[in-house]
Amino acid sequence: MTNEKKKNTITWIALVLLTILSWKFSESLSGKMGLMVVILASITKFFGVSLQFLELKKAHSFWKFGLLGFLVIFYFLVFLFFS
Amino acid sequence: MKKDIYHPPGGILIWVIIFVEIITFSMGILAYSYMRSKNVELFNSSQMTLEKGLATINTIVLLTGGFLMAMGIQDLKKGLNKQSARWILGAILTGILFLIIKGSEYGIKLEHGHDLRENLFFTYYWLLTAFHFIHVFVAVVILTALYFSVKKGKYTSENYFDVETGGAFWHMCDLIWLMLFPVLYLLH
Repeated sequence: MTNEKKKNTITWIALVLLTILSWKFSESLSGKMGLMVVILASITKFFGVSLQFLELKKAHSFWKFGLLGFLVIFYFLVFLFFS
Repeated sequence: MKKDIYHPPGGILIWVIIFVEIITFSMGILAYSYMRSKNVELFNSSQMTLEKGLATINTIVLLTGGFLMAMGIQDLKKGLNKQSARWILGAILTGILFLIIKGSEYGIKLEHGHDLRENLFFTYYWLLTAFHFIHVFVAVVILTALYFSVKKGKYTSENYFDVETGGAFWHMCDLIWLMLFPVLYLLH
């Protein structure tokens, strides 16, 4: 297995685990703690898919910071509306 | 690979589309979040009727599809068309599975009378998820066309641009779902 394929596999396993964990945490944790955990897990998953699968890591900083920066602002606003 | 602003992976056009789509869905999700902050009880009680388990399975299905497509592109870059086509076929099947699971979720909702007009929560739920559903359907059609072309050897290790572009559209569906899933199903 090549290096890139290994990274894809590790990313996929991490994404699946984060999905299951965020589902479980959303049911067991309440309030701002639950909100923070689910949002942080979602941001991490978005970074994993975009940087590794979509190969954003190979793109110019403009695309990288544009997309990921927008996402952070988006989740900050979601956090404000939900808290 | 040279990091040129005009040549991101998959081409500049698909990246403009990805940005426009993500901004559009974000506006919808933020509008949902704002309206929820004004009607917390209504949104929370309506959210309780959603199938979190099915949505979690569907998230894993889409993430698996993204993984399979990424593997397919890696093999194509090495000129392994047969293996690449197999990965892409796997991605297509995950797309179809997502649509079936989502369709069954819609069936359950309609059976219980939770249609678009029931309340504000369900108006957002139907509009946001149905637009995403259409995107996944389009992505499955694109991947199917790419699958046959890769299998026939139309694309090679030197010529895989279209496959990368189709893959980018597929991953965009993942990204949009990763924004929808926590807000609609998990956060309360």
